[in-house]
Amino acid sequence: MSFGRLKRHFPWITLAVLVLIVGTIHPSFLRPQNLIELAGDIVPLFIMALGMTLVIYIGGIDLSAQSVANMTTVLATISLPIFGVFSGVLVILAGLAFGALSGFVTTRLKVPSFIATLAVGGLALSVGQYASSQRALYMDAGERDHAFGWMVGSGWSGVPHELILALVLVVLAWFLQNRTTIGRALKAIGAGEPAAVASGLKVERYKILAFAFSGMLAAIAGLLFSVKLSGGSPTLAEGFLLPAIVAVLVGGTPLTGGVGGVLNTLVGVLIVAVVRASMLYFGVPATSQQIVFGIVLIVAIALTIDRSKIRIVK
Amino acid sequence: MFELQKVEKKFPGVHALKGIDFTIKRGEIVGLVGENGAGKSTLMKVIYGAYQHDGGQVLVDGRAVRFHNPRQAMDMGVGMVFQEQSLIPNLTVMENIFLGFEQQFVHLGVVNWKKMATAARQQLDKVKLSIDPATVTSKLSFAQRQLVELAKVLTLEERVQGDLVILLDEPTSVLAKEEIELLFSLVRDLRKRASFIFVSHRLDEVIELSDRIYVMKDGAVVDVVDGKDADVASIQHKMVGRNISKEYYREEKQKPFDAAKPLLEVDGISLAGRYNDISLKLHAGEVLCLVGVEGSGREAILRTIFGLQKPHLGQVTLKGRRVETFSAAHGVECGVGYVPRERKIEGMVGGMTVYENITLSQMRNYSNAGVLEIARERGLARDWIKKLSIKASSENVDCANLSGGNQQKVVLAKWRSGGSDIILLDHPTRGLDIGAKEDVYDMVRDMCGAGVGIILVADTLEEAIGLSHTIAVIRDGEIRKWYDCPPGGKPSLYDLIHYMT
Repeated sequence: MSFGRLKRHFPWITLAVLVLIVGTIHPSFLRPQNLIELAGDIVPLFIMALGMTLVIYIGGIDLSAQSVANMTTVLATISLPIFGVFSGVLVILAGLAFGALSGFVTTRLKVPSFIATLAVGGLALSVGQYASSQRALYMDAGERDHAFGWMVGSGWSGVPHELILALVLVVLAWFLQNRTTIGRALKAIGAGEPAAVASGLKVERYKILAFAFSGMLAAIAGLLFSVKLSGGSPTLAEGFLLPAIVAVLVGGTPLTGGVGGVLNTLVGVLIVAVVRASMLYFGVPATSQQIVFGIVLIVAIALTIDRSKIRIVK
Repeated sequence: MFELQKVEKKFPGVHALKGIDFTIKRGEIVGLVGENGAGKSTLMKVIYGAYQHDGGQVLVDGRAVRFHNPRQAMDMGVGMVFQEQSLIPNLTVMENIFLGFEQQFVHLGVVNWKKMATAARQQLDKVKLSIDPATVTSKLSFAQRQLVELAKVLTLEERVQGDLVILLDEPTSVLAKEEIELLFSLVRDLRKRASFIFVSHRLDEVIELSDRIYVMKDGAVVDVVDGKDADVASIQHKMVGRNISKEYYREEKQKPFDAAKPLLEVDGISLAGRYNDISLKLHAGEVLCLVGVEGSGREAILRTIFGLQKPHLGQVTLKGRRVETFSAAHGVECGVGYVPRERKIEGMVGGMTVYENITLSQMRNYSNAGVLEIARERGLARDWIKKLSIKASSENVDCANLSGGNQQKVVLAKWRSGGSDIILLDHPTRGLDIGAKEDVYDMVRDMCGAGVGIILVADTLEEAIGLSHTIAVIRDGEIRKWYDCPPGGKPSLYDLIHYMT
């Protein structure tokens, strides 16, 4: 029992321990300036993980997030000169549409979400490749700053704007999850879908909504990334998917859904950020980082999954 | 030969076994009875090695032993015949019998099937079952499977020196009357070779078969009764610590229903393979009971009325409006509430609090523009916790941590608080102890008094007869007979069974 109770607190304890270890060995890590930069760098990943959280919360998975973000960088770069700031709205709607498509395929056509989102991700990837002709594209600095300059950089306070953006999104997502009928329905679906159906909830609609939110947030992540790097390419967000899933799971939202949520993912993303930074400090080459994330992912799933919900693993 | 002395077992927050003394002599048949949660299954698990005791002693032939797993218990001659069928359906009978002990038939890494079949036939002979050991298990009837389970445990005879103790956990629950007789005569024959511990909810069967009966209550043995002079009423009294009166089913509170107010009309609905040409009417204040054997189509009818299954033919009219779209959402909107048999799966959401469960079907009424009004939700939950005396420390506790009876009350509170006036009850008292069952019966009467119509699929025939105004006997998906059941003029068990089978 004490273990079960402790389990809930694992994520932030892990975070604190990691920060302490890295901070003790490399005190420079703890400099406020460094920490703020670290946090700022992780924001696109965080936004993607936020969307992923909603889908994992209902017991699904969204493997299309990275491809949707990739596609967004391309579409945003292409449409910026034409639509200015409205290109942002367009690409976010595109992400929403791709997410909704995943949701439709998995609920109405009864395709498991990992396959449905893998397929829709393939679609998004192709759109990105086609639209960019497989080249890296660049934004005009003036146009970019005019339309999206507010997203990046830091104002008089010294706090990077993307951190503020992340904060606003996490507050909105938290409110959605804990204070709205949508959030309650998603929780019920994750914790006990048959009972949610038998309570008269329109479960399919809520599920489609969760996937649509995920697609939308993946697009916002892609947009921010594209603005930060001032360009787009169908491979720009490569390597985001695994850390995003890791962040959700180490944060304490298990693959089986129903518990955890967006605040857990906040902690999870910080863990990922610290792990990533410490790999730099300890000289782990960038090419090997995915190995670490893969291992962390497996360990996190093994520790957090609710085995009472899955009797047999195939 | 097998003895427990002052055996203790504690789980976090629960003292499951309190100083249990238990002996079984050679060739004896010992009954073990108690309400749900009395500690029967914990005691059995200690006996067959699934749990380890944390106090007292387990003695086999006077020597203290400690089983770390069921395999060790089997090596000492203690075997378990499981209530839930533990045979693997797609293996053959002989493979199941020797599952985990195939080594004796293996030569140079190859299984000698002939040798295994011969050995299996020998085991099947012990239970007087003449089937081909190479039959795939899924082709057997439940009764045959039960006997194969017994044969499987009886392989201990050859493997173990000394005496056997065999646990039978609810072995009769899936059997028909004749099959039960067969099983009992078999057990009596086998007592030359083994002692039996017989666990069942059916007290008459326990009394019929057992030499002695251990009665458990709250984790302790409250009495040991001699099988010859036991009677059902006195054992029940010891199990619950009170008498079960004639008013058990609240017959005295049964009031005539309002025949002028039909809530639901079902007209000639059919669903291929489930039910055929079903017509019925439900009125305000009426308990309509669907009676039939397992698989007769009762559950499918409930699910259709709720909206979970669309019928191929016929129509359903809820409060004068014909149902066009069959969905649970539509059913709930029309005031239909469904209390499913699988309470933990479909009834309530484990991991959500009491108040979240109660408002789950009516979030629209407890939200404003999609934003939940949590204070009002909790107020509602507090009211219903009081109204139904739900034992929960607050409205914020996880429903998964409540007992079965209290979970059932939460499910009922969900529908009643939302104003549902057509309530479908599927085995509402399944797995509840006697006190909690009585609470459910009280609620049924209260709901009728408030003008609710109830369709009930009861857990037992007695329950069906006791609670209902009207009974429809269903066989093979069709209604065979209608009964009116006014207090004092109810049909007998025999009447119903006559049309059921």
